[in-house]
Amino acid sequence: MATNQDALIGLGRNAAAAVLVLSSLAGGDKHGYALVKDVEEFAGVHLPPGTLYQLLARLEARGLITALQADERRRPYRLTAQGATVLADYIAAQQRILKTGQARLKRSWSLA
Amino acid sequence: MSSDSTETRRAKRLLNWYPKAWRERYGGEFVDHLEQEFVDNPTDFRRSLNIAVKGMVARMGDFGFSRTPLSTEGQTRAALATSFALMALSSILVVNFWSRAMLNWSARTYHPIPVSVTTGILSVVAAVMMLVLMAILLIVVVSVVRQFLRRRGRTLVGPLILALGSGALILYALRRLPGMLVSYSHMFQGGFRWTHPGPAMYGLAYIANSSVQWWVALWNPGVSGAPTLFVVVNNLVPLAALVFGLAIATLLRRVELPAFVERTTRATVMLLGMLTGVAVVTHVAWLAFGGPSDFPTFGFEGRTAGVIYIAFLAVVSVLIVRTQRALRGSNEITVTM
Repeated sequence: MATNQDALIGLGRNAAAAVLVLSSLAGGDKHGYALVKDVEEFAGVHLPPGTLYQLLARLEARGLITALQADERRRPYRLTAQGATVLADYIAAQQRILKTGQARLKRSWSLA
Repeated sequence: MSSDSTETRRAKRLLNWYPKAWRERYGGEFVDHLEQEFVDNPTDFRRSLNIAVKGMVARMGDFGFSRTPLSTEGQTRAALATSFALMALSSILVVNFWSRAMLNWSARTYHPIPVSVTTGILSVVAAVMMLVLMAILLIVVVSVVRQFLRRRGRTLVGPLILALGSGALILYALRRLPGMLVSYSHMFQGGFRWTHPGPAMYGLAYIANSSVQWWVALWNPGVSGAPTLFVVVNNLVPLAALVFGLAIATLLRRVELPAFVERTTRATVMLLGMLTGVAVVTHVAWLAFGGPSDFPTFGFEGRTAGVIYIAFLAVVSVLIVRTQRALRGSNEITVTM
């Protein structure tokens, strides 16, 4: 049985970029170019078009996002309930790692 | 004269890196996206490279080598079609390897256990492989005929012509087969006896080797005095096998297949991948265990070609396993939704 984490791990090297796309769509529906601009703004990362559309296709196939009716050529994408759950689980797991790392750095190295 | 702007034409050119099904689904929005990116940054080599690489990845998916998000049915057909095309070419090598091992085994009076075991495994692998390929071919033929009878066979005409043309060349190259069966019928005297299969197996291996050895020994007939037409036809057979495999693969993707095919595709592709992998490992083991001690290692074609053929079979088995893994991933996607 696939877990929520598996849905992202299955994307391999693109998992990190997938989190960026899901995080962007968590803020509202967007088409490809608007998505790239949003990710650039909040993460400082530029997603090349080939990578973006490969991700959109895979996320759509996994049911994490859904394509809406195209407005002329622009097709907006929406985060699904399953996509929101996967993103929330991923962020919670990352926060646990972050807290552990920060605590250990503080205790052993007096950093963070 | 196209009314498209320069940016649109550029975007459409870049879109050509992707397979047709992908272009139909994402083409419009992708071109629109690129047009906006061209305004921000007119020239960007890394962007073009990214599109080319991802387009090639999408094309690999179209052949079943990686997961395609387009449809599970499409992925199933792609995996089966690609595996069949690869196996059509590989089967010549596998039959050649088996026939050589069997002839070498039969020529000896002393049979070390490793040589007997590897020869036996090669026999089973070659037989099962040919049976599976024949079964797939039979399903395709029946499905194609049924589709033509229903007057829906228009899209099948192109690949069907290619399959018939290449198949005719292969049959022409095999035209001596019935004659050989008659000439060597003494080897089958008494029929096939399970308690003493040797003579019949030797006869079968001899006839198989007489046919396929010419196909693997490209431009090097090994026997002087062979007529030019004979050499040319036999050298064209591997190409014909490739064309035949691709044509049947295309038919597999287009024809209306019975429902059970989709249910059994994953197991079939896994079986084909395993058979090829076992054939490679067993043949290498056969060579290591003394197979070539009193027999030319790779027959007429020489050592280099033999090593290339084994490497080719290894690559084929990896590719088939990859299609099976992509298919499994595709099925998992369907299950988790």
